[in-house]
Amino acid sequence: EDAQKSEKLIREKSIRTNRRNKFVDCLGAQDVNITELRKLAWAGIPEDFRPMAWQLLLGYLPLPTPLRTSTLARKRQEYLSLVEVAFARDREGLDQQIWHQIEIDVPRTRPGVRLWMHASTQRSLERILYVWAIRHPASGYVQGINDLATPFFQVFLSAYIDINPEDFDTGLLPKHVLDAIEADSFWCLSRLLDGIQDNYIFAQPGIQRSIRRMTELVARIDPALSSHLEAQNVEFMQFAFRWMNCLLMREISVQNTIRMWDTYLVEGPDAFSQFHLYVCSAFLVKWSDKLRTMDFQGIIMFLQSLPTQGWGDHEIEMLLSEAFVLNSIWHNAQSHFNGK
Amino acid sequence: MSKQFQFKLVLLGESAVGKSSLVLRFVKDQFDDYRESTIGAAFLTQTVTLEHNTSVKFEIWDTAGQERYKSLAPMYYRNANCAVVVYDITQPASLEKARTWIRELQRQADPSIVIALCGNKGDLEARRQVSQEEAKKYADEEGLMWGETSAKSGDGVSDIFMAIAKKLPLTAPPPRAGASRNTPGRPAVDLNKQAAGDSNDPCAC
Repeated sequence: EDAQKSEKLIREKSIRTNRRNKFVDCLGAQDVNITELRKLAWAGIPEDFRPMAWQLLLGYLPLPTPLRTSTLARKRQEYLSLVEVAFARDREGLDQQIWHQIEIDVPRTRPGVRLWMHASTQRSLERILYVWAIRHPASGYVQGINDLATPFFQVFLSAYIDINPEDFDTGLLPKHVLDAIEADSFWCLSRLLDGIQDNYIFAQPGIQRSIRRMTELVARIDPALSSHLEAQNVEFMQFAFRWMNCLLMREISVQNTIRMWDTYLVEGPDAFSQFHLYVCSAFLVKWSDKLRTMDFQGIIMFLQSLPTQGWGDHEIEMLLSEAFVLNSIWHNAQSHFNGK
Repeated sequence: MSKQFQFKLVLLGESAVGKSSLVLRFVKDQFDDYRESTIGAAFLTQTVTLEHNTSVKFEIWDTAGQERYKSLAPMYYRNANCAVVVYDITQPASLEKARTWIRELQRQADPSIVIALCGNKGDLEARRQVSQEEAKKYADEEGLMWGETSAKSGDGVSDIFMAIAKKLPLTAPPPRAGASRNTPGRPAVDLNKQAAGDSNDPCAC
């Protein structure tokens, strides 16, 4: 039995090494083959390659190596100018409504995590959110967008330090490094939000639509659960709103989210709305047996504090695979149904 | 024989006035300086015991305060038997927002809904910008219950929920029956003052 175990470990190690080597080849190319990168990244990106891989997948970093330095320098400078303009006058010059909301949300973003409690990180987050908000007046800053900024910041920070980003004080970074992390986070967050802007505009039609589709989908893939929820007067809006608004970030750990985004970024700009609704459906159905024994109160309480604390890459990868299957079976059927 | 009644309670109010903290204090007797903002709404329950072996179980929907989430609110106050509309005594604008919520409840919610106006962050007396008189006067005019609380210290928190429990009609279970019970001239109850004839109840502060 021990022999079997060690054989398994050796096999896993060799798979990991093999995957690492493929990433080294792929990312080391003069001109990155994006199709190849997508194929590799779907199954998860090794931590040290992630900052670069995410930026390539988002189209922020150019695929040909020679263009990268100048592009990054330009984008980072552009962000600095945006910040300068936005904060040119003193506090009274800011959009008061937007600033007020950001100011009260930043200190309660990931409370208890040291990185996010440091003043320097909080100032960065304020600037990222404020500059994004004034550039997108149709939505402005909406609660939950603060959550979405955090994975980018942590991943990009990890490229510059050797310790766990969550324990790090960004006040210790040289200014130009912090500026770079902040700018990269801003542009990548902007790209992510481009795909889900109608989640955050008036009446949040994007979320309404996703929840409607999720309700229809669950009725087909798990009719027993669907009718139980209906019998208990549970409305999907009561729990799934947060799942859509914060992309499940309140349901799973940031580490889980980061792994999930490896795959989402491969799936493309629509993934954070389209693919995400399949992930949410698979996520709900996962608890079907339990939920079907519960009443309204039990269901709602269970769904708002799900037992995912012990989740690692394995659980997330199962969820992504289930979502992938659902997506391939139902996506066209749903589009057809909705007359799209 | 003991009787238990169930009522739906909704919390409304501007962002960061302390709605979630108020409920956390009431339900778990806890307080955190920083808590993640509420997205959509959170559901909690708590039971309070009244005299004569009667208990009231509150099913609480704690809603998100940001303006953008406003369109979700009707789903939560639609069937509510009572509402706690919260403002922050250090933020005059939050009382304005509370007035807007109260007008909306008066127009859209069940006419029999019991509404309490609650001035939170009482521990920040030095930064007070909303006087008790002003809030109380408004509550009187509108026939609302009123009280001040501090979710941080716990002051006034159980009192406000207890006062609501006493105000709810405990005669007609199921509590949702009788949607047309309208009591326009309902006198305001001052939660911060001893109510006459209630002197044997330690919770009526």
